[in-house]
Amino acid sequence: MAAELITAVIVDDHAAIAAGVEHWCRQAEPPIEVVDAGDRLADVWTGRGAEADVVIFDLELVPGKPDFAGLRRLVDSGRRVVVYSQHTDDATAIRCVDLGALAYLTKREGPQHLVPAIRAAADGREYTAPSLSGAFAADRTPGRPRLSPREVEVLRAWFASSSKELVAAKLHITVKTVDTHIARVRVKYANVGRAARTKSELVTRSLDDGVITLAELNEDAL
Amino acid sequence: MGDEEARAQLGRGLRIATLMLAVLTVDVLGLVNLVRHLGSHDVPAAQFGALATLTAVLATEAVLVVRRRPWGALRWPAVAVVLVAAASSYLTLPDARVATTVDWLFGAAGWPILVVLLDRPFRTTLLFLVAHELLALANLLLFHDVSRGVLARFVTGSVTVFGLPLCVAVVAAVLGRIGTRAAESTRELERLRTARAVAEAAHRRRTQRFAELNGTAVPLLAGLADGSLAPSDPAVRRDCAIEAARMRRLFAETDQVENPLLHELRHCADVADRKGVEVELDARGQWPVPPVAVRRDLTDAALTALATADSWARITVVGSAELVSVSVVADCAVRVAPPPAGTDVRVETFGGDGTVWMEARWQPS
Repeated sequence: MAAELITAVIVDDHAAIAAGVEHWCRQAEPPIEVVDAGDRLADVWTGRGAEADVVIFDLELVPGKPDFAGLRRLVDSGRRVVVYSQHTDDATAIRCVDLGALAYLTKREGPQHLVPAIRAAADGREYTAPSLSGAFAADRTPGRPRLSPREVEVLRAWFASSSKELVAAKLHITVKTVDTHIARVRVKYANVGRAARTKSELVTRSLDDGVITLAELNEDAL
Repeated sequence: MGDEEARAQLGRGLRIATLMLAVLTVDVLGLVNLVRHLGSHDVPAAQFGALATLTAVLATEAVLVVRRRPWGALRWPAVAVVLVAAASSYLTLPDARVATTVDWLFGAAGWPILVVLLDRPFRTTLLFLVAHELLALANLLLFHDVSRGVLARFVTGSVTVFGLPLCVAVVAAVLGRIGTRAAESTRELERLRTARAVAEAAHRRRTQRFAELNGTAVPLLAGLADGSLAPSDPAVRRDCAIEAARMRRLFAETDQVENPLLHELRHCADVADRKGVEVELDARGQWPVPPVAVRRDLTDAALTALATADSWARITVVGSAELVSVSVVADCAVRVAPPPAGTDVRVETFGGDGTVWMEARWQPS
């Protein structure tokens, strides 16, 4: 699995962006193969685009009209999506995460975040870039999940420094703990974003997210 | 504002007084005269009809006074009704009784006209008082025997009939003019006072700005001027960059913008940008506008780090109603001391491996 070459398909109407992303991915170690779909969302569903592990999705193919429906369709059909957008507003970022995007990056964020985001997405993991972290830290919408002060602190520091080593050093924790805090925030957001229609769905998701373990489940049943 | 109120009160007082005079003249004096000479009238019904009409007009005014409303669209119909009532009374008057006490309406009709037209310009009131007078005169000349005695009686009667309402109309006009002028001069006075306050505040601000620069920028400039500070010294250059950013921030402080904190940070960033430092500025959330002193403390950390940065800096603001945090991360080769801050803002500095991270926090309360 690890040896396999990751492929990503990019949908973006700006040729320069696609070329830049392709370049970054080629330079990455190990390299990531990029399929350029241009501004044709259809190419993501057919041919080589359909086989790509990750979709790098420009939210605004039509200026002024963020394509949330397109994002939802991709996520619903099981695609792993990294949203790469020029939007910096918090609401758009959080909405994309709610819809199931594994990562949300603004176009200000370069290869140091895009490449790890693609790798994480190929693995089915989430990646939280600094800009999204800032959006979480500043989120004051009524339906937001309850974050602990420490989690907010980590989010804010990650947004401010965009270096996990700096965050870890400043807060006197390890980089791993920084990641754990950020991951926990994502779980909390995922839980408010997805509606659990049945009890079994809720249990499945809790297992998936690592909120409970199988052992704990068996203990409760006894 | 209080002036306008006083003016309205004055107008209302005059309105009530005029109404009372009118009621007295029409419904007391007029009625007494009508009843006393009832036998002399050929068509008493027409006289009572006229009295009822005038009373109705006055009653309407009473209602309007209570509700503090002007006559509005009712005004001209009311004047017409009064003139028609007068005409019907005059036309049914017995011979040789014009301008006697039998002619009760002659002395009374001017008052309802005045009541209805009190808030109109003086010439309008005058016009309709004259119209009424002419109506009475026309009746006298056309339908009655005119003798010198009758004419003399008519003219003497007219002095009170025409003169008294006219006096009140003049008073109303004069009061109105005085009120307008008083309001105007009050406004002018207020404008002058505001202008003076603005000028004083501007002057105070300038003096204060100068005082603020005096402590840090002036010694630097003086040092450069007398040669005790060398422009080639990196420390001097850094101090110059800090002062330049501080001045930019000072000038930006008075700009009317939606988000002063971000606006001032942008100005600080611009100074570093010119120096060739690549600056990223990103903000998340919404926060209340901090006071100037707090904004200075919040931006001071960023300003110092930016002035020292070698090639890049990242400034971020995360704000909410409970906390505003301004962070700057930059590659500063030399360790910079955090600038002293007031009690409201806490500044934390963290550095290592050529990277400096300063965070200033403020808790709005």
